[in-house]
Amino acid sequence: MIVIKISFKLNGKWVETDVEPHKRALDFLRDDMEMTSVKEGCSEGECGACTIIVNGRNVHSCLMLAVELDGKDVWTLEGIVESGETYIPEAYADVGAVQCGFCTPGFIVSTKVLLDENPDPNEEDIKKGLEGNICRCTGYAKIIEAVKEAARRKRGDAS
Amino acid sequence: MRFDYVAPATVEELSKYKKDGGRLFSGGTDLFVKIKAGALKPSLVVDTKKIETPKIECEEELKIYMNTTYTDVLKSECARKFDLLLKILIEVGSPQIRNRGTPVGNIGNASPAGDFLLSTYIHDGTVVVAPSMREIPISEFVKGPGKIDLSDEEFIYAVSLKSLDGYRTYYEKVGRRNAMVISIASIAVAIKMQGNVIEDARIAYGSVGPTIVRFKDLEEKLIGERPKRELFESIAKEYSDRVKPISDVRASAEYRKKLVENLLMKAYLNMNL
Repeated sequence: MIVIKISFKLNGKWVETDVEPHKRALDFLRDDMEMTSVKEGCSEGECGACTIIVNGRNVHSCLMLAVELDGKDVWTLEGIVESGETYIPEAYADVGAVQCGFCTPGFIVSTKVLLDENPDPNEEDIKKGLEGNICRCTGYAKIIEAVKEAARRKRGDAS
Repeated sequence: MRFDYVAPATVEELSKYKKDGGRLFSGGTDLFVKIKAGALKPSLVVDTKKIETPKIECEEELKIYMNTTYTDVLKSECARKFDLLLKILIEVGSPQIRNRGTPVGNIGNASPAGDFLLSTYIHDGTVVVAPSMREIPISEFVKGPGKIDLSDEEFIYAVSLKSLDGYRTYYEKVGRRNAMVISIASIAVAIKMQGNVIEDARIAYGSVGPTIVRFKDLEEKLIGERPKRELFESIAKEYSDRVKPISDVRASAEYRKKLVENLLMKAYLNMNL
């Protein structure tokens, strides 16, 4: 079996490992790195359940190969929580923006990228920032509320 | 699905891998969807991202290189005055798609619904083809749905767009929802006024023919005229009569023909000519 050596930063720690050339970043992160927050939904870049952060931008891990992670700074929900940035998942939980929860990791990852770029997004900014993530339970109203609440907590405003 | 992977660093190597049957990708937002669906079964995929180029250059024209993503263009200072282009790009896919997908890849895909492809037609774009670096106008480069003028060893290196400085512009994409939509029909209009007459007019439609549609003779009918509603009504009717859309899962041909007419009138009424 042909393998390719890659070395990349996963949630702040350098990892060096061999990957098969055809393996998707999604399968590699879930199965080999045990980052099970990375969900497989549609597998074609529509639903956003597999969203991860690569070099500061949110991308679909289902449309990316594991070998492409070489040299990159990669973050999943696990790392966001471990590094103490819990205000987004907490805001989602507190306002009731989680129902079945399958889409939630992807939403939180996209929310982090949105808030890192824009600490005070209006409703349109939030819709635009999260347009690549689909939720089939909530109807989005609570999610939008959660992002506004997370933004307030990130800025340190009293809520 | 198993395949091999290479990421060559030179134009020559990339060209050789393509000639040997490798499938090129940069963002993978089209290729990996096609592989997943079983529409393509490559034995080798060729990652183009190790080819070093500038991202964007803007002098007289805006030049976007291979591997430059939609987000790169949207964040670029120098693309600011290409406001029609930015309006089109912000509607592409979703943040995740814009962060990986590339304008050059959109040309390579040559879908009549290609959003960036529409912008290359309205901006009189030119494609730069490697390894020879020959330049070819976009309207000659695209031959039909998914068909482009490339030989086995060639690939798209960059695309140049001419400025629409001084033009009033309009863009609209009609689809079932906002995000992640493949258009039912789309329109881009650019009109330059001199006093109260039209000095130049460009009208491009997406998803209503085998490729992006521009009819030069109909555009010329507007030039030198005052922008009267009756004039636009008659031209809009001519576009509607002349386009040959297909019926597909997204909409019927008849519906698209009606959209062609209505979208031009909507553009006219919104442009305050």
